[in-house]
Amino acid sequence: MTQALDEPILLFNDACAVCRVIAHWVMQSAEREMGGATLIVRPIGTDPVALRAMNPGLDIWDAYANIHLLMQDGSMKTNGEAVAETLRNLPNTRWLARAFQFSFLGRRPFQSMLDVAYTILADSRPLLGCESCGIPPPWLRPFHWMAQQMAGKPAAKNHSVIAATTVLPGS
Amino acid sequence: MSATADFVETVTIDTFDSLVLKSSTPVAVEFMSYGCEHCRLLEPVLQSVAESLGSQVAIARVNIAADQELASRFDIRGTPTLVMFLNGVEVGRAVGPVPTVSGVREAIVGTFDGDARS
Repeated sequence: MTQALDEPILLFNDACAVCRVIAHWVMQSAEREMGGATLIVRPIGTDPVALRAMNPGLDIWDAYANIHLLMQDGSMKTNGEAVAETLRNLPNTRWLARAFQFSFLGRRPFQSMLDVAYTILADSRPLLGCESCGIPPPWLRPFHWMAQQMAGKPAAKNHSVIAATTVLPGS
Repeated sequence: MSATADFVETVTIDTFDSLVLKSSTPVAVEFMSYGCEHCRLLEPVLQSVAESLGSQVAIARVNIAADQELASRFDIRGTPTLVMFLNGVEVGRAVGPVPTVSGVREAIVGTFDGDARS
């Protein structure tokens, strides 16, 4: 059973620096002058069961892989569609969101461009650092490397490992 | 990723000792987080390996975003990391295993076989 929502809920990855900055901006933009918000912004969290309680179709792996916006009617919007719907729900960007509805010969060119831009951003997020994977952002990598060397520990190999390396204790 | 049977049991700080350290069967624990793309790639592979191994080896996951204490205790510096336990003792680990069924199976079974021979 899908929970009834008063406002759409935007889920964001709080282990991703880029996502946190965007979520903070959305949170501020969603504030109404008379109080309350046009949109609820919430971290995805770590509980797959809690997410399924919000919407049975919501998978935690998918939620972390791309943007999800839970609508009041129980539906979900993802990727570029979720970005456009988020902008539509923010008082200051409602005008911009109209562009994504523009249709020409049965296609929505601006929405297609947004979809591509979102996909590129989503795919490049790990390059900007992944706290949960132990990968620092590029500007901190030299310091991270030096700290690892001084501590005598090799850097985490995620994002570059191509083969399993089994390490037995004492080896 | 669609919802299917989960052959990998999630363990937490509260259940780690009873389900992993006190287990009578070998246990491979994946230290992971849901925000890690490599863990996402590994997930269906682990499910497949867990299903094929059946009761020979238990496969479990620890979400380090929720259980940072366990990550510190086992010195996990990146995800995914597979740590193999036999009779409550760590007997090996594989960091960032290549996400193929044969690669992960070899990392798990090879570690336990090697330990049984030694």
